[in-house]
Amino acid sequence: MTGVPLNLDWQQILLHLMNFVILFAILYFLLYKPVRGFMDKRKAAYQEMDDQANQNKQEAEELKAQYEQQLAAADAEIAEKKAAAIHAAEARAKGIEQKAQDEAADIISKAKRQAESERDRIVGEAGDTITEMAKEAAEKALFGTTSDAFDSFLNMVEDEAK
Amino acid sequence: MNKKQKIRAGIIFGVAFIILLAGSVITGLVKNGHSEEIQVVMRDAVLHETFKVNLFGLIEVNPGLISAFCVTIIFLVFCLIVRIFVIPKFKKIPGKFQMFLEQMVDLFSNMGKSNSPHAYKFVSAYIFAAGAYICISTIFELFGIQVMTTAGVSVALPAPLSDINGAVCMGCLSYLVIMGGGIAKNGIKGFGKTLKEFSLPISMSFRLFGAMLSGALVTELVYHATVMSYGVPVIVGVLFTLLHALIQAYVLTTLVSTYFGEVTEKTVKVPKEKKPKKQKKSAQAA
Repeated sequence: MTGVPLNLDWQQILLHLMNFVILFAILYFLLYKPVRGFMDKRKAAYQEMDDQANQNKQEAEELKAQYEQQLAAADAEIAEKKAAAIHAAEARAKGIEQKAQDEAADIISKAKRQAESERDRIVGEAGDTITEMAKEAAEKALFGTTSDAFDSFLNMVEDEAK
Repeated sequence: MNKKQKIRAGIIFGVAFIILLAGSVITGLVKNGHSEEIQVVMRDAVLHETFKVNLFGLIEVNPGLISAFCVTIIFLVFCLIVRIFVIPKFKKIPGKFQMFLEQMVDLFSNMGKSNSPHAYKFVSAYIFAAGAYICISTIFELFGIQVMTTAGVSVALPAPLSDINGAVCMGCLSYLVIMGGGIAKNGIKGFGKTLKEFSLPISMSFRLFGAMLSGALVTELVYHATVMSYGVPVIVGVLFTLLHALIQAYVLTTLVSTYFGEVTEKTVKVPKEKKPKKQKKSAQAA
């Protein structure tokens, strides 16, 4: 038995060491690294898909918010335009009504004026006729017979009727 | 199991029992014809004085070193086959074998990450190799591959780590890896931190050696008694070996990753709070 405890042999320790270093290299380069690389790539691919999905979702949400904002703005604009149109229509209706009322009043006043002038004319003419008739009647009473006067009266009425 | 199968199983069990019983009785009657004493075998298991194997006609080495070379060759063949034929056909949805490989890599990778979060890439790869080596080399013992010693006696190749040289190599290399990590991350401070754990290489080496050797010795004892060599080694030998393989792989990889995490952890300087100056007694008096 040598002096080294448990018969430790440094040469064999180094051979074991060399063996393990080779084994480590084999396992690392042929197994660990490729498998790890595949797993990392797959993880990255799924992560990318997840990120893409999240980005798409975020974009869709932003777009939705934008559309909702636009929709709200359009609704407000429509309401505003509708109110303006109603207001304009009301104003126009009022104008038309006012105009109609004015025209009606004008027509009525014209008609009244015309009727008054017609009446005045008819009254005037009737006055003249009555005066004429009274004059003729007085003449006939003074200068002709009664029957003649009556005949002449009838003739005169007939003439008037014509 | 139907009635026929039950009867068949009963018959097989009965025959096996009778054969084992007969073997036990017969071998008990025969005088012990061992070529070597158990003391010699056990002493050699610890000291490796008697049974040496010639390595390529150059030097005489312990059988454990031959086992280590055999394990490396097995790994080389396996890894080459996997690298050439399996890995290029990996799918995004893994099959059973791919799942097994990924699980193994992920297990050690996660162990490295959780125990040494500051620097885990190298230590993960190291504990993967160390774990695989310890586990497979211990199971290798079960194959009982025979080699001829220089003494002209045939011996079964043992687990490489039941050889003290293999265990010391593993312990010291692990310590060097830890020290290297400490220096790479923290410089002199990391070196100092590692030196504080100066007993680590010895404890790791002898833990491995002791665990492996105890299993080998118990199995040797069981094999040595001929009466017990029927059936019992199936339980004792295989179970002990498998348990050792898993437990020792787990223990060493956990220890290495934990110590690696400790020495690579960055030390944050906490600024010292200035103590308020003591007022002079004269001022107090005033």
